[in-house]
Amino acid sequence: MALDAATFAYPGARTPALLDVSLAIEAGTVTGVTGAVGAGTSTLLLVAGGFAPRLTGGALSGRRDIATNRIGIVFATPWTQLTGLATTVRAEVAFGPASLGRPRGSVLAACGAALRDLGVEHLADRDPASLSGGELQRVVVASVLAMEPELLVLDDPAAELDPAGADALYALLPELARRGTAVLVATPDSERLARTAERVLVMEGGRVTRDGPPAAVLDDTDVARIARAAGCPAPYPLDVAALVARVVR
Amino acid sequence: MTLRDLVVVRLGVAVNLVVGQVAAALLLPVYLDTIGTVLVATLVGPRAAIVAGLTSQVLNAVLSGNFTWLPFGVVQIVIALYAALAARLGAFRRLGTAVAAGFGLGIVAASTSAPISYYLFGGATAGGVTAVTTVLRALGAPLPVAVAAASYSTDLLDKSLVFALVAVVLRSLPRQMAVRFPMLAR
Amino acid sequence: MIGYVPGASALHRAHPYTPLAIATGLLLMAFAVSAPGAVWVVVAAAALFAASAGVLGTVLRPAAILALPTWVLLTILHGLLGGAPHVMLGPVAFSVPGGERALVFGGRLAAILLAFLTALATVSPARLVEAMTARGVPFGRVYLLVSTLTVVPRLRARVRQIVDAQQCRGLRLGGSPLARLRALGPLVVPLVLSALAEVDEQALALDVRGGTARGRRTALEPPEDSRADRAVRLAVLVAVVAAYAWKFLGAGG
Repeated sequence: MALDAATFAYPGARTPALLDVSLAIEAGTVTGVTGAVGAGTSTLLLVAGGFAPRLTGGALSGRRDIATNRIGIVFATPWTQLTGLATTVRAEVAFGPASLGRPRGSVLAACGAALRDLGVEHLADRDPASLSGGELQRVVVASVLAMEPELLVLDDPAAELDPAGADALYALLPELARRGTAVLVATPDSERLARTAERVLVMEGGRVTRDGPPAAVLDDTDVARIARAAGCPAPYPLDVAALVARVVR
Repeated sequence: MTLRDLVVVRLGVAVNLVVGQVAAALLLPVYLDTIGTVLVATLVGPRAAIVAGLTSQVLNAVLSGNFTWLPFGVVQIVIALYAALAARLGAFRRLGTAVAAGFGLGIVAASTSAPISYYLFGGATAGGVTAVTTVLRALGAPLPVAVAAASYSTDLLDKSLVFALVAVVLRSLPRQMAVRFPMLAR
Repeated sequence: MIGYVPGASALHRAHPYTPLAIATGLLLMAFAVSAPGAVWVVVAAAALFAASAGVLGTVLRPAAILALPTWVLLTILHGLLGGAPHVMLGPVAFSVPGGERALVFGGRLAAILLAFLTALATVSPARLVEAMTARGVPFGRVYLLVSTLTVVPRLRARVRQIVDAQQCRGLRLGGSPLARLRALGPLVVPLVLSALAEVDEQALALDVRGGTARGRRTALEPPEDSRADRAVRLAVLVAVVAAYAWKFLGAGG
């Protein structure tokens, strides 16, 4: 996936939501996006995933190359992402591959693997309506993974999860990258981004203002804030391990 | 129909069902169970509105168990087409014209539903309407007249109110949402 | 009270289209006949349909609750207020043709309610989805019929939230009919706007999971459509066609 000088405006908007963004996402990598509300992170995901302007309307200028049509997207709230057709979690997760008309065995295999990845096999026979928000969000991610996407974009996917669930989800992203998926995740959660992404984009006003490894571009994790307050020179260590390494050295 | 239209239709059907239940719970003398259909007609168009209306009719029957309502699906088609036409003519731009157009729909809808009620069910269908019918009949009105009068009085109020509410919703629609529905621009 | 009742009857095990076809057939039959006796034969057939699925007891109560008010009104409307000749039942004059009409309309109502409540009780929604998928029913139709029902409880919960929020701001739901009508705006507008705000995410989520895929979807557990199923549905079709042929042709000739 590559963008070259991409500018995108929603229909009826006076100012573009995305301004002159150039960017390439490789298979097998996790790229993080962060920024304040309204900075354009969600829009970048929609454009990078090929959903804008196809499904949202609006106008895109610049170049965009997307080398795959197997693209998955995950949002923060689970309720809007369910089909509402399934009375079991298994049926919900199987919906995607079944829609493609794949043979029954292959559908069930993809469904089983996705349930395992998210650690929700034990929920397979439950009614989605009976699950908690956190459980449901993991089912939603499993449903998208069952489509075996080559490009996966996630918009603050752990907003509804408890800390342990969020950790588990972010730990899965590098694993998906190892299997060859290109992962693009947007979140204000710098700590987890620092741990999972090998590259982070910081956005402001629709532009990418910083781009590089987390240690070079992030400076607002708790540890980084403490390090800065303590007079540590930049780049700041982002987590405890990095801080310890710096101090020991 | 695009996927997005489909999602809007589902929303319209759900609004029909839920607002209909709210109106019943508030013991209002109106149904309000066509707000979603009219909304879909203004946002997407007549075809989607017909689908929303017919689906609502079936699901209303499934949820309430009252399958005698099914033949009134014809009325839903009439409502969908009328609402789409009214939207095309700009009736929803002002509250006054919306109410007037809703009044007109009341006449059209009652003219469709009264014969169904009379021929298929002997005038005894939805609770409140039937009560009005019975009172009028007791006062000496011939049965067809009583059925028609009952249908008209309820439908005129109901449809005027539905159109007024949809006009208010459309006016409250934020600009960035409104531009996503090309039907509205016309 | 109303909905699917798990069971092991032949109707429960049948292809989901079969109970639906029988219920539709009974509805059409109820309108095909116009003599009070014949209408109540259809009612008896509907009751038999319910009994054969072992759900007669379950469906009788909602059917009665739904039918009774209308029956009472029909009795007043046609029986007491109907035309001559009248019979005296104690102190009241009861119209004979009106009474017959009330029996016909009341019977149709009863037959429709019994038939469809039975279909509702015997057809599992999940199996119906599988059956429709296996038949290649367009996704949109399945989606609207089934998935809307899962949206309704969520929308209803949101109504409750909105009511709570607006009551904090002084909205009153009681009072005169006019006051209650006025309460509708602050209720309906936020409900619809918040639902519309979710449309794009819902459409995107469906899109990435093959919502627009053409071609037949895979049914994971397609219900078996046996020879008996097809025979029953054919018999229903033949009976309905015969009844209407009799109604429109037989009566004239």
